[in-house]
Amino acid sequence: MYSKQMTPWSVLRDGSRLIWRFVRRHPTSFWLAVTGAAGFAAAIIASAWVIGWVTDGLIIPVLDQGVDPEGLILPAAGAILAVAIFKAAAIVLRRTSAGWLQFRTRQDVRNDLLTHQLSLRMSWFNRQAVGDLLAVADSDVDQGTGVLAPLPYGTGVTLLLFGSTAMITFIDPWLGLGAVIGLIVVLIVDVRGSWITYALWEEVQAARGEVSAVAHESFDGALTVKSLGREDYVSDRFGVVSDKVRDRLIRVNSTWASYQAVVRVLPQVMIISLLVVGAVRVDAGAVTPGQLVTVTYLLALLAFPVQLIGFVLWDLAGSLAGWRRVQEVFNADEHVAYGEAVSRSGAGPASVLGATVGFSYGGNEKVFDDLNLHLTAGTTLAVVGPTASGKSTLSLLLARLWDPDVGDVHLDGADLRSFSLSELPKEVSYVAQDAFLFDDSVAGNVTLGEPFSDIELRTAARLAGAEGFISELPDGYETQLGERGVTLSGGQRQRIALARALIRKPRLLILDDATSAVDPSVEAEILRSLKSAALPSTIVVVAYRPASIRLADEVVYVDEKRVVAQGRHDDLLRSTPGYARLVQAYEEDAARMSEEAS
Amino acid sequence: MSDERATGKVLGRAMRLAPALKRGLRLTLVMAMLGQAITVVTPVVIQMIIDDEILVSGGIDMSGVLTKAGLALIALTVGVVVARAAVLRLIRSSATGLSDLRTLTFRHLLRRSVLHVEADRRGDLVSRVTSDVTTLQEFMEWGGVGLVIAASQVLLALGVMVFYEWRLAVVALIGVVLYLVLMRWFQRVLARNYDRVRTEVGRSMGVLSESISAIPVVRAYGIEQTTKEKVADALETRFWTEFRTARFGNILFSSAEVFAGALTAAVVVAGILIGTSQGMTAGTLVAFLFLTNLLIEPLQIVVETLDFAQSAASGLRRILGVLDAEPDMVDPADPDHLRAGGLGARFHEVGFSYTTGDEVLCDLTVDIPVGSRMAVVGETGSGKTTFAKLLVRLLDPTRGSVWIGGANATRVPLAELRERVAFVPQEGFLFDDTIATNVRYGRPEASDAEIWTAFHELGLGAWVEGLPQGLDTRVGERGGNLSAGERQLVALVRAWIGSPDLLVLDEATSAVDPALDVALRQAIERLIEGRTSVTIAHRLATAEGSDEVLVFDRGRLVERGHHRDLLARGGHYAALYADWVSGTRAL
Repeated sequence: MYSKQMTPWSVLRDGSRLIWRFVRRHPTSFWLAVTGAAGFAAAIIASAWVIGWVTDGLIIPVLDQGVDPEGLILPAAGAILAVAIFKAAAIVLRRTSAGWLQFRTRQDVRNDLLTHQLSLRMSWFNRQAVGDLLAVADSDVDQGTGVLAPLPYGTGVTLLLFGSTAMITFIDPWLGLGAVIGLIVVLIVDVRGSWITYALWEEVQAARGEVSAVAHESFDGALTVKSLGREDYVSDRFGVVSDKVRDRLIRVNSTWASYQAVVRVLPQVMIISLLVVGAVRVDAGAVTPGQLVTVTYLLALLAFPVQLIGFVLWDLAGSLAGWRRVQEVFNADEHVAYGEAVSRSGAGPASVLGATVGFSYGGNEKVFDDLNLHLTAGTTLAVVGPTASGKSTLSLLLARLWDPDVGDVHLDGADLRSFSLSELPKEVSYVAQDAFLFDDSVAGNVTLGEPFSDIELRTAARLAGAEGFISELPDGYETQLGERGVTLSGGQRQRIALARALIRKPRLLILDDATSAVDPSVEAEILRSLKSAALPSTIVVVAYRPASIRLADEVVYVDEKRVVAQGRHDDLLRSTPGYARLVQAYEEDAARMSEEAS
Repeated sequence: MSDERATGKVLGRAMRLAPALKRGLRLTLVMAMLGQAITVVTPVVIQMIIDDEILVSGGIDMSGVLTKAGLALIALTVGVVVARAAVLRLIRSSATGLSDLRTLTFRHLLRRSVLHVEADRRGDLVSRVTSDVTTLQEFMEWGGVGLVIAASQVLLALGVMVFYEWRLAVVALIGVVLYLVLMRWFQRVLARNYDRVRTEVGRSMGVLSESISAIPVVRAYGIEQTTKEKVADALETRFWTEFRTARFGNILFSSAEVFAGALTAAVVVAGILIGTSQGMTAGTLVAFLFLTNLLIEPLQIVVETLDFAQSAASGLRRILGVLDAEPDMVDPADPDHLRAGGLGARFHEVGFSYTTGDEVLCDLTVDIPVGSRMAVVGETGSGKTTFAKLLVRLLDPTRGSVWIGGANATRVPLAELRERVAFVPQEGFLFDDTIATNVRYGRPEASDAEIWTAFHELGLGAWVEGLPQGLDTRVGERGGNLSAGERQLVALVRAWIGSPDLLVLDEATSAVDPALDVALRQAIERLIEGRTSVTIAHRLATAEGSDEVLVFDRGRLVERGHHRDLLARGGHYAALYADWVSGTRAL
């Protein structure tokens, strides 16, 4: 990922833009920090002056000339302390304000990142690794805002730099010219170093992203890794990406160290050369020896600020590299477009129409090609089809987690895309097979923070067949799940996820194999109670179990990228051989076994 | 904060854990100090040029100026070259050491028991091997050696002071000691604060990672706002923790300035009070003031580096927290081995409880004969999955013992056990790679042909052939490009390819369509002849076709026997069966 299109100039330009973007949002803390830095610079000069004053006014008169120290000691000690306290205050002001600027900016960026991501389509998420996204929000944001720490300091002491250079020029234009040329050389080296390290930093950040992605995936699949006894293999794989970070860090830091060495030497070389030039000028009578000494001290004073500018540029390179990855996320513009339509929640079940739907995941092989589906309000529909025929995809389209490439899905005549962000969930609730539970209480996982009453909570839990086990948990509905909480079985998790959908009384309820981990007897019970509860919902169930199919009013058989047949179960058994073979497989197997046994 | 976890010791342990950190450190230190010392020569030479050449009356001797300038340049170059070499060595050793430490931590995390890894917040775990290590890195690269150099400079300055004027040196020494005592106290507070910062950073990343992982749920339920608020809250808490800690660190750092002022003032006052009568001259006092300055600068570096060190130590403590946790399963020094051929298993008075509750499995004694086909049934939460995890040693019993192939499972090397015993969990987790690579997790040396054979054996040849790139098809993150049923197929083949002698299936084909499911089971039954299989049944036929059925209820084995006999008994199994029949056959 070596970006050859970046020039030293564009590093400066993009860098200033980035800095401006951050500073614009928190100008007060930035200028306070710069003020602190300027105060610090002033304090350095003041302390040198105070020491001179104490030497001339106290030490020499008392120790050399025998003057009585009475009345002189206190002001001298006071002045030294006062300057020190002023200096300390300036440091606290600078660093604290810079800290505020940096931490607030990081917080802003992380919040913005999440907000932005939440508006993106599933197709975008499908192409990302969660671990890598986390790395962007974590180390890339840190890296991207790294320049904010030394920036105010750099800005403050640059003032010092300008002042000193002006003074040198004032003393002798030739020496001034020499100083300016020297500074320019140092700056060129700094900028070049910054540009070179920028590309290297990009590689470091990319590798850090990989580390995060591999770590995330490995912890995610820990059960699988362990059950296969592949801990060492996975650890070695992690070791490889970790060592990649190591090698790239060594490269970037070594490069920087070399530039750093040059930048450290240059001001010294400059001083020595100017001494030689100055000696010639003194010899010619153009400059007095005293002036040359002043110039030398001023230059010595400049060595540190010059180095500091290098630090800022170095951090700028790192920041740009980190920011590039953050910016990539911000640049993603596959937003989900929402309409203005309002939910008719409370108006009873919705009718569903899917017309000429075509769909593929990110341009891969088509999952659907001209799929048509009609569902009258209040029916319960079972979706049946062979493995990988697109049953889950159909659920996702009906829930508008994805949008069809061609055609559209209507709810009571309204295109799903016409609903607003907040209204759509009132129309449709979707329950996936792998129940995602938040690190929250049982109640929190069902209500998701919305103000449902206790009765609604219990009713939903009862309908989902979850009431029994929830009441046996240590704190009932308030039991914490997740970290240091209670571990639930797959079936229990699924039932909590089901309650989450039921409490919302959606007009269309989609269950994508949502009770797969629940025992058949429990599942049958749940489906029976759903049926008898007279929910205000049209229900779509992806299922294989005949019990689920039996409870449905209608069945669609999905295969070969379309709806092959739709109708009552009995009719489909007769008309659609593929369907019959599928749903009767267990029965036939059982019959075969009974035969063998007898 | 207990003393054994004090910063110095924590850092010392890091060095022992990752020896690369201290490899060649002594030479690096010597080189760094040498480089530092040589660069100090330049100001001295510059001083000499000014005093001896330029400020002397009677014209400037240009050859003298040039000689000294040349000398200064040479000293400078040598100093910088040596210092740079030291820095490069340091960069190399710290990056290497930290990468080793990171991999070591990862290895340990992965070895923690399943329930730990699954229950902890993943984002938080990831942060242990990412940002916690990065914190350390910043310190290791510059801080550590800088600290040593600065500390030796302090000692050097004090030494020169004693040589110069011992009474003033005593004043300076008292000041330095007082200051260090104060710093120790500060440091302890700072350490607590930094621990809090690391905790908050981990927590906020955990919340953020949960929110990103939960995107489908967030979208489906329109809880974008709540999610944002939850993250914003965590970030706000983190901000204040970070900011307050930084502010405290700044006060600490700037106190060095006040100390410098106080010490300078004290030296001046002491010098004046000692006075000419005791032999104090203006020259001595002024020179001493410069020495004081020489003392203060490195002392400030020491203080600032300590700030860095606290932050590093906090990251390190979290890493050590992982490394110090006892591994759940350690191979014994004199292991027992599984017998050859088919593997049976025996549970002897086994009980199991997670750390947070009652026993989920109790008083389990059961025998699984070699070559048998066992089915396990029971309601959700009856302990079936826990039983399976104990059987394959993903968990160890909290009471009693599990015997596999004639050996106590805890006495068998894990690698040996994993090779012979395969477990297929319900959620077939796939890695973001190709199908072939995922199958090779089951047997790394399997050739493409062998993988093909495995798919064909199980009747899945047509399925693989139907994929766009066959075995080289990428499955996406968590296998997201495949359907749930397809993921289970790959997971099954992955276990199958290791030709296990004991195969444990935990509802491993629950998302596969019935026709394929039946075909798969028939294939497995045919092929596993002579070996042992234990299936947690998600459908009737599995139990019906098995040699023996184990019925679990509320953590206990309540019935066992052949399908026919259990049915005749009219107990738990008969009830479950009746439910099943009504679910499957009443069509």
